[in-house]
Amino acid sequence: MTLYDKIMAIYPELKPQDFLTVIRLQNDSDGKGDYIAKWEHPTLPRPTQEQLDGVQ
Amino acid sequence: MAVSLIPLTAAVSGALPLTNGGTGLTAGGPAFGVTRTGSNQSISNATATKVQLNTEEFDTANCFDSTTNYRFTPNVAGYYQLNGAVALNATTMTIIVGFIYKNGSQFKRGTDIRTTLNVDSLVTVSALVYANGTTDYFELYAYINASSGSPIFVADSTSTYFNGSLVRAA
Repeated sequence: MTLYDKIMAIYPELKPQDFLTVIRLQNDSDGKGDYIAKWEHPTLPRPTQEQLDGVQ
Repeated sequence: MAVSLIPLTAAVSGALPLTNGGTGLTAGGPAFGVTRTGSNQSISNATATKVQLNTEEFDTANCFDSTTNYRFTPNVAGYYQLNGAVALNATTMTIIVGFIYKNGSQFKRGTDIRTTLNVDSLVTVSALVYANGTTDYFELYAYINASSGSPIFVADSTSTYFNGSLVRAA
């Protein structure tokens, strides 16, 4: 399950375009994987690592 | 690299200075052309991902790292024209975007298509950029939001590439 899938599981109300505006997921092709490069959503707080780890 | 003003009555050898309306370049500056070849690059959905450009067509000043960081770090200060394209695919794509990053941050956005796509697609991005000739670096990123299928950057030298060259001294 990707980082995007986990975030969508936590916040299913997010829209695809949110990931080009208030949220940016990024992968620098350095072997470190996907990460949240920006989270500026006006109402939804940035998910914690515990929340992300809890998504199956 | 920049040359001082030369009176137009004087003999000029080498490059015409910026102050005389020239490029100010005394020799050809860095130029590079790289592509993605071999295997397609699998990426995560809805995640801006650096394109691993692993094949150099030319790299006149050895300024492009095509093995580790996949970035252009020019060694001459000045203004560079950069051009990139990425072939993308997934079963169904709803958003595709191309970016040039400078020093690890989004710098210029190119193609930005937001409609349902069911075929191979291409994003492009071009920009005239300034580089300090020491620490500034540039990378090509792209983004796919796929509603079905596994997104990839297609390995194809004709459609997944990044190139550029110095066009004017600082």
